[in-house]
Amino acid sequence: MNDWMIIRRSLSSRRLSTVFTSLSVAVAVALMLLLLMMRDSGRAAFERGSGNMHLLVSADSDPLTAILNSVFLAAPPRRPIEHAKFEQLAGRAPWEYFIPTQLGDSYQGLPVFATTTEFFSRFKPDPVEPWKLKSGRFFDKNFEVVLGARAAEATGLKLGDRIALTHGMPKTRAQLDEEGVTGDAPAPHVHDEYKFEVVGVLEPTGGAHDRAIITSITSAWILHAHDRHEKEEHEHEAQEKAGEKPGEHADHAHEEEHEPLTTEADLIDSDRKITGIYARLATRPGSDSSSIIPVIFNQLRSDPTITVAQPTQEIDKLFRIVGSVDQILIAMAAVVAASSGISILLALYNSMEQRRRQIAVLRVLGASAGRIFRLVLAESIALGAIGAACGFVMAIVGARLVASEMKARLGLVIEPSVTPMVAGLVIAGAVLLAAAAGLLPAVVAYRTSVAKNLRPLG
Amino acid sequence: MIAQPAENLALEVRGLEFRYRSGGGFALSLANLAIRPGEQVLLRGGSGTGKSTLLQVIAGLVDPSGGTVRVAGTDVHALRGAARDRFRGTHVGMIFQTFNLLQGFSALENVLAALMFSELPRNEHRQHAVSLLRTLNVPNPDSPVETMSVGQQQRVAVARAVACRPTLVLADEPTASLDPENASAAIELIQTTCAQNGAALLCTSHDPAMTSRFSRVESLGALGPAPDRGAVGAGA
Repeated sequence: MNDWMIIRRSLSSRRLSTVFTSLSVAVAVALMLLLLMMRDSGRAAFERGSGNMHLLVSADSDPLTAILNSVFLAAPPRRPIEHAKFEQLAGRAPWEYFIPTQLGDSYQGLPVFATTTEFFSRFKPDPVEPWKLKSGRFFDKNFEVVLGARAAEATGLKLGDRIALTHGMPKTRAQLDEEGVTGDAPAPHVHDEYKFEVVGVLEPTGGAHDRAIITSITSAWILHAHDRHEKEEHEHEAQEKAGEKPGEHADHAHEEEHEPLTTEADLIDSDRKITGIYARLATRPGSDSSSIIPVIFNQLRSDPTITVAQPTQEIDKLFRIVGSVDQILIAMAAVVAASSGISILLALYNSMEQRRRQIAVLRVLGASAGRIFRLVLAESIALGAIGAACGFVMAIVGARLVASEMKARLGLVIEPSVTPMVAGLVIAGAVLLAAAAGLLPAVVAYRTSVAKNLRPLG
Repeated sequence: MIAQPAENLALEVRGLEFRYRSGGGFALSLANLAIRPGEQVLLRGGSGTGKSTLLQVIAGLVDPSGGTVRVAGTDVHALRGAARDRFRGTHVGMIFQTFNLLQGFSALENVLAALMFSELPRNEHRQHAVSLLRTLNVPNPDSPVETMSVGQQQRVAVARAVACRPTLVLADEPTASLDPENASAAIELIQTTCAQNGAALLCTSHDPAMTSRFSRVESLGALGPAPDRGAVGAGA
C-alpha cells in the first residue's frame, strides 16, 4: 500500500469524472501540440517548394498568387507572359538561370508542368539538393514526360507508358464564377493525337512538383498550336461552306482526320506562351544570395505587364497572415487549457465533500495533514499527466491525419514534428496547470477537520 | 497516587479540561485516568457525555483546554503536526461504531493503509495484514469492504486498529449498531484481539450489558457547564 495506490483508488472510484477531466486536459494539450507542429512543419513545407530560385516572374495579379500558382501549382495562372517579353527579360540581368514554365494542361487532374531541361539541370527543388531520378532519365526530346514522385504513385504509370494529356484543367463551378465565366465551361479536351512517353520518375522532394507531370515546354506549345490550327481550319471551312453548294465537298470531314499533325516548325510566337519564369541570379561560389537581387527585383517590379515575386519574402508574408491566425488558435488552445484546469479544480473540489470521511480516517491511521495535502495535489497532477499523455498521443495521431489530408488534397507534404523541448514544455505546462488547479482542493483537504468527520453518519 | 513510573503506563490522563470554543458551554473534565499496558477499561456514560471527544483528545485529534495526555509515556499534545500524526499511527489504534473503513478498498488494503503509517518494515506489511485477517476470520480479504457483511466489516475494523501493534486501542461505541448477540461477540473479538496483540483497550459504551465483560469500569459523569474536577477518579 502506498500513496499512489490511494490516488489510483480515488481516481477510479470517480471514473467518469476522471475520464472527462483528463480528456479535457488531453484536448488542450493535443490542440496546442498540433498547432505548434503544424505551424513549424507547414512553414518548412512551403519553404521547400521554391528551391534555389531567387525570383519568380509571372503575369498573375499579385506576387503571392504568382508563388501559389507557379511554385505550388495551386491553379494555372490566368494570364501568360508573351514570348517577346520573356526574351526581353532574359537579357535584362546576369541570370544564372531563367527558366520558362507553363501550366494549364493536366493528366488525370494532375498538373502538367511544362518547362525546359534547365529545370532539371539548374533549378534545385531544395536549396542544396538537385533533382534525383528514381528511375529512367530526364526528358531530352519533345513528347517525353518525367513524373514527380507522387504523380507516379497516383497514376501508376511506369517507364515506357504512353499517355495523352488534357489541354486545360477541369474546373469547379466556383473557379469559373470567380473568373467571370458564365454558362458552360470551355471543356478541357484530351489530345489523343499526341502521345507522351514516360521516360523518368523523380525521387520525392516534399514540394509541389512531386505531383506534377513534367514535360518540355515546346510540347505544350505544339498542343496549343495544334488547337489554333484546328480552329483556323474550322473558320476557313465555314467560310468555304458558306460560299459553296452543299455536297461539293462531301469528303471534307474525312480529309480533316488525316490532317498532318502540327510540329515545332509550325509554332508562331503567340503559341509560345509562358506562365511563369523561375529565375536565379549569378552568385559567387558558395553564396546563395546576390547583392543585386533587390536591384533587379525593383527594376522588374516597375514593369506593369509582369508580376515579380521573391518566394522567401512571399512565404514570410503568407506566414505573417497565417501567423496571426495561429496566434488566435494558440490563444484558444490556452483557453481550453485554462478551462481544463478549472474542470480539474471543480472535479477535485466537489469530490472533497465525499472524501472528508476518507481523509479523516487516513488522519486517524497516522497520515499528517501535509501528507493529505500532497495526496490531493498528486492526484491532481496525475490527472494532468494522464491527460497530457493522452493529448500527446492524440496530437501525433491528429498530425498524421492532417498531414495525409494535406498531401491528398493540396499535395503539400507536411512532416509534422515538434522538438522534444517544445513537447516537453507543453506537457510540463499541463502538469503545472493541473498542480495549480489542485492547490485549492488540497488546502480544503489539509484543513478537513478529523473530529467532525468521524462522527456516525446521520 | 501512581505507583509505576509514567513510562510504563499505556495511558495517563491528568487534569484534562476540554471546552468547546463555541456551543452551549459543553465541557469535559477528567482529573485522572491511568491504564496499564494491556489493561482493558470500559468507560461508561450516556450519550452526549463527551466519550467520543475524550477519545479524540487522547488520540491527539483534538487539543484539550488544559491538562496532559501521555500515551506510552509520551505527552501527545506536546507533539506538533506531523510528529503527532506519526505518533498516533504507531501507538494508537481506533475502532468506531460505524467502522470508518476506507470505501472502495479491499479488507486487506484497509489493513495495509494502517500499516503505511506504522513502524513495521514495509516488506512485512502484507504478510502481517494477511495473517491478522486470517486470525480474525475474514474470508475474502481481497473483496471490497462495502460488499462485506456488518460482522465482517467489524472484523476488518478490529484488524486495522491493531495492525500497527499499538500500545493503546481506543474503541468508540463499537457495539452501538449491533444487536445484543452480535454486540457481545464483537466486544469479545475486540478484547481477545487486543490481548493477543498486547494492546491496552479503552472502550466507551452506554450499554449496561458491557459492564460485566470488563474487569475495570469507569464512569464519565461530567456534564454541564461547570463540572467538578475529578469526575472520574481512576486509580490503578
